[in-house]
Amino acid sequence: MSKLLKSLSLTAALLSLPVLATSALAEGDAVAGKKVFKKCAACHAVGDGAKNKVGPQLNDIFGRTAGGLDGYKYSKAMIKAGEEGLVWDNETMGTYLKKPRAMIKGTKMAFAGLRKDKDLDNVIAYLATFSAEAPASTPSDDSAAAPAPEKTETAAASKPAPAATASEAGAGKVFGLGRVATHEEVAAWDIDIRPDGAGLPVGSGTVAVGEELFTDQCAVCHGDFGEGVGRWPVLAGGQDTLTEERPEKTIGSYWPYLSTVYDYVRRAMPYGNARSLSDDDVYAITAYLLYLNDLVDDEDFKLSDKNFLEVRLPNEENFIADDRETEAHFASKGEPCMENCTDTPVEITMHALILDVTPGSGDDNAGAGAVD
Amino acid sequence: MSDKKASGQPPKDSGPDMNRRTLLKAGLATGGAAASAAALSGAAMADSDRLITEIQDWNRYLGDGVQANPYGMPSEFEAHVVRRDVEWLTASTESSINFTPLHELDGILTPNGLCFERHHGGVAEISPADHRLMINGLVDTPLVFTMEDLKRFPRENRIYFLECAANSGMEWRGAQLNGCQYTHGMIHCVMYTGVPLKYLLEEAGVKTTGKWVMPEGADSSAMTRSIPMEKALDDCLVAFKMNGEALRPEQGYPLRLVVPGWEGNMWVKWLRRLEVGDQPWHQREETSKYTDLLASGKARRFTWVMDAKSVVTNPSPQAPITHGKGPLVISGVAWSGNGKITRVDVSIDGGRNWKTARLDGPSLPKAMHRFYLDIDWDGSELLLQSRAMDEEGFFQPTKDELRIARGENSIYHNNGIQTWHVKGDGTVENVEVA
Repeated sequence: MSKLLKSLSLTAALLSLPVLATSALAEGDAVAGKKVFKKCAACHAVGDGAKNKVGPQLNDIFGRTAGGLDGYKYSKAMIKAGEEGLVWDNETMGTYLKKPRAMIKGTKMAFAGLRKDKDLDNVIAYLATFSAEAPASTPSDDSAAAPAPEKTETAAASKPAPAATASEAGAGKVFGLGRVATHEEVAAWDIDIRPDGAGLPVGSGTVAVGEELFTDQCAVCHGDFGEGVGRWPVLAGGQDTLTEERPEKTIGSYWPYLSTVYDYVRRAMPYGNARSLSDDDVYAITAYLLYLNDLVDDEDFKLSDKNFLEVRLPNEENFIADDRETEAHFASKGEPCMENCTDTPVEITMHALILDVTPGSGDDNAGAGAVD
Repeated sequence: MSDKKASGQPPKDSGPDMNRRTLLKAGLATGGAAASAAALSGAAMADSDRLITEIQDWNRYLGDGVQANPYGMPSEFEAHVVRRDVEWLTASTESSINFTPLHELDGILTPNGLCFERHHGGVAEISPADHRLMINGLVDTPLVFTMEDLKRFPRENRIYFLECAANSGMEWRGAQLNGCQYTHGMIHCVMYTGVPLKYLLEEAGVKTTGKWVMPEGADSSAMTRSIPMEKALDDCLVAFKMNGEALRPEQGYPLRLVVPGWEGNMWVKWLRRLEVGDQPWHQREETSKYTDLLASGKARRFTWVMDAKSVVTNPSPQAPITHGKGPLVISGVAWSGNGKITRVDVSIDGGRNWKTARLDGPSLPKAMHRFYLDIDWDGSELLLQSRAMDEEGFFQPTKDELRIARGENSIYHNNGIQTWHVKGDGTVENVEVA
């Protein structure tokens, strides 16, 4: 049944689109189309000096063979479509922009498609202002002569009906699958907090309350003072150790944002009993962790959604972007040496067997460099 | 659990003895190395192999019928081929890792039951009927999908490696663990079947301000990472099958994210939610963990791509040479998050001289590649290394080069060249050289 609906809607879309698109010349508003084009502008440039971006530049797009712009790397599917004779005009562009992947399976254009026929008309009219060739040229257009504007409107209104039915059954834009999430459902799962405070719930908790909660629920693994029991994570201390031989990476010494503490405790702690703490509990525990790290010194300090952003962690500035490619061995990218690459024969400098920490080898409980 | 093979000694169980005999005979049949063949042939010719001259039980009696094993398992003689862990690495097994036995595998695909495990709150057990995937945040319509819904989207089959960013992390300071299972086993490579993530995002309609996607797991760690929209729309999959069958529970059944070429931590298992936002979330696993501390005290973050890397899997400490001199297949795997592996060089003298190995089997972007170098081993000691090169022109650095660039506390993204010391008796040890 649903399959039938889907194929019906697809057929309807394909049949109705040329009719719609033909009206573009008459109906399309280039000024309004400029607004619609904002959806495209992340990937496409048009106008004076437009260059290829993620997508090809769109000057003189009408009359251009699909996949035919030199210097842009099209998908195989687009090149094939061009080879098979696809030329961009208002009709083909209308069909394509409505549902790009339905028309050219394998196109690398990630855009889902323009839902509103008016948007389609307008954006085509806008693009037409950058094309020497008028968009409605190539096809021998049966429908062009016939329909009066209202009639086209009627066709537009009636034809997509099956599509509307399909999307009522589901909820999504493209395949009509899934259903709309309720506010209650989103609220239940969307509990993440960002460094800018987005997501913080209303609430508060003091260091003193946090200490009680921590002692009861956290200290068994993390130690009374966040020092970590056995191999469980150390949460406090370690300031100024990041350049030492054995750095201690704690909330106070390493973590860049306090929001991460709140977020993580709220979603995953206590270990084995996640989501059991109230929002106020999490504020209190977060406040206590600040206290353990000497970032607040008053047991009456109360952390809340109001003052949360006032607290900054000391190591925030010491995180940098991935610049591995600047390392000498990566930057070289040359042909690696194949013969006599060292002056003297290579010698062994270190043996794993001396450490003897491999499982089954005897003393296998003393290795270094834990991963957690 | 004890593991005799990991100690660097040759295996003591009965299997390899038989293998040695078989291989000696194979050596004879192919002519082998003339001298050793001549020396051995007298003994070998003297007594015929009773495995051939006597009728064996399996040759006389009926075996199990069909359905003796409704879900087939490996031969009992392969019982030693298992994932193994290193107890001292972590505080509890529910937030821990084990390792793929790379030295027992060949080709490029990892069998589902041998794919290494990494959990942060144990294996979630979820009935597919109870599983939901939500998309919310900066979308036109927040949506909820059932597993049935997801299987109605067009799907793709893709082979990708998944490597933990901490693979070889214990080896930063020097040779420590004696076996490629432990040094390089936080990796697997399977064929995924799933729906392109971009279809799901398009279904919800990403707003123009949506630049990041945060996947979230349904397990007790509710794992989260921030993924840039460009990657999400490029090649990410929401997968429900691996190697043709349903995901294993420990790999995220019923649904996981596939983030090709990028660190394994981002491939969120038990995937239940995708949130679209205009900036990254800086979650625990991208701040406290999976950031790379440099000698300067600065730390790199969002180091997503897994660099070109390779390792010789055979011979290696857990897979010593048991057949003596003569033909030796040196075998290993190579991979790169940048695309295809174009070349692997192998050195038997610790990196002084290199020979280009033979790649065999499918060569697919962001998938494991298998390489071989077939040599005639004269029984002398070897310092065995491999060096991968990818289609972007990156090749593997030495461990020293990495330490010079990053210091000794980076933990993650160690793609340095591994050295195995092969001794005259065929045993192998993890070493460092200079």
